[in-house]
Amino acid sequence: MARREVGEINAGSMADIAFLLLIFFLVTTTMEVDAGIGRQLPLKLDQPINDEQIDINERNVLEIMANSNDDLLVEGKFIEIDELYDIVMDFYTVNKVAKDQDVNMPNYSKVDVSTCATEISKYKEALVKDPENKVLKSELGKWETKMVLCQSLDEKSYMEMNKQAVIQLKNQAGTSYGLYIEIQNILKQVVNELRVKACEDLDFPDYFELREDREEDQEYIAKLRVLVPERIIEAKINR
Amino acid sequence: MSKFKKGGKKGIPGVNTSALPDIIFMLLFFFMVATTMKEVELQVTLEKPVANQAIPIEDKDNVDFIYIGFPIDAEEGTEPRIQLDDRLAPDYTVVSLWKEQKAREGKTPFDIVTSLKVDENVGMRIVSNVKEELRDIDAIKINYSADQTK
Repeated sequence: MARREVGEINAGSMADIAFLLLIFFLVTTTMEVDAGIGRQLPLKLDQPINDEQIDINERNVLEIMANSNDDLLVEGKFIEIDELYDIVMDFYTVNKVAKDQDVNMPNYSKVDVSTCATEISKYKEALVKDPENKVLKSELGKWETKMVLCQSLDEKSYMEMNKQAVIQLKNQAGTSYGLYIEIQNILKQVVNELRVKACEDLDFPDYFELREDREEDQEYIAKLRVLVPERIIEAKINR
Repeated sequence: MSKFKKGGKKGIPGVNTSALPDIIFMLLFFFMVATTMKEVELQVTLEKPVANQAIPIEDKDNVDFIYIGFPIDAEEGTEPRIQLDDRLAPDYTVVSLWKEQKAREGKTPFDIVTSLKVDENVGMRIVSNVKEELRDIDAIKINYSADQTK
């Protein structure tokens, strides 16, 4: 039986086909990356917290207001956008090392293992009476993280920013989104820088490499959230 | 006698093109990998704000996009509008319904990030309304889309 020769495939038009595909992808390509600032909105509570009116010390609130003319008011004073960074940075750090260096900014207090232990037992007790209370549960979780944090540190304690310390963002209907993002960007920048520094001080992995969906990173993230809290309240614009 | 031939016919040798497909394929693969297809046809203006702290979105499959801007089509008026997928929404109240329809297998609205792509000249009222709608259905993970550099 004669052997059949396998005919060679003519590859001459391969280049043409490749060109065709290439041109298709060239045309459809958009190189832009989707980037953005991630935020989590506050959860809607089933029942409002009906505790007695909580007394909020004014020093713990940093009020940032942007009006319809895109003027920026911080604590009632007109400022330029590039002054905001220093103010927010001060809000976080001015009283951390020296107590009451600026009495208009939130104070720091020491949290150690024993404070955590008392708080944890307090919330556990309360949860026995009211096992479904979301607020109590989240508080308990927070204190448990703080406990872990304290135990992991050399000095077994850390300086905690006042629990009520909060940044309040107020916008008006005509405030431009561009200004809003500029403000959000500055708030993020301050928190990022402080957390990066905390990571370096505590020998954590690189802050920007931490991922919330990775289990081994979750503990680091929880600790960083305690050390550098990011509490932003946004006032709703009336519908 | 010289070793070198002189006066021989000097034809220009043809360029070897057998490597051309390889080069083209290399380019092709580069563009295939780098390509992100346009998700929607934009019907609103979208001048994104700049934020140097913006971080690239990694898991793009688990992100829904809401576009807010001024309508390009003059017949739609001059007020800022919300674009959901390929259509302009009549108003913000449909956002929560739309978001719930976008639910993926085994995921709640809570798990899926909503990226707000908003024109920087739009007022905050419409953005605030959309955010409230998302909060109502516990879709609280949001992302303010911004360019990292100008």
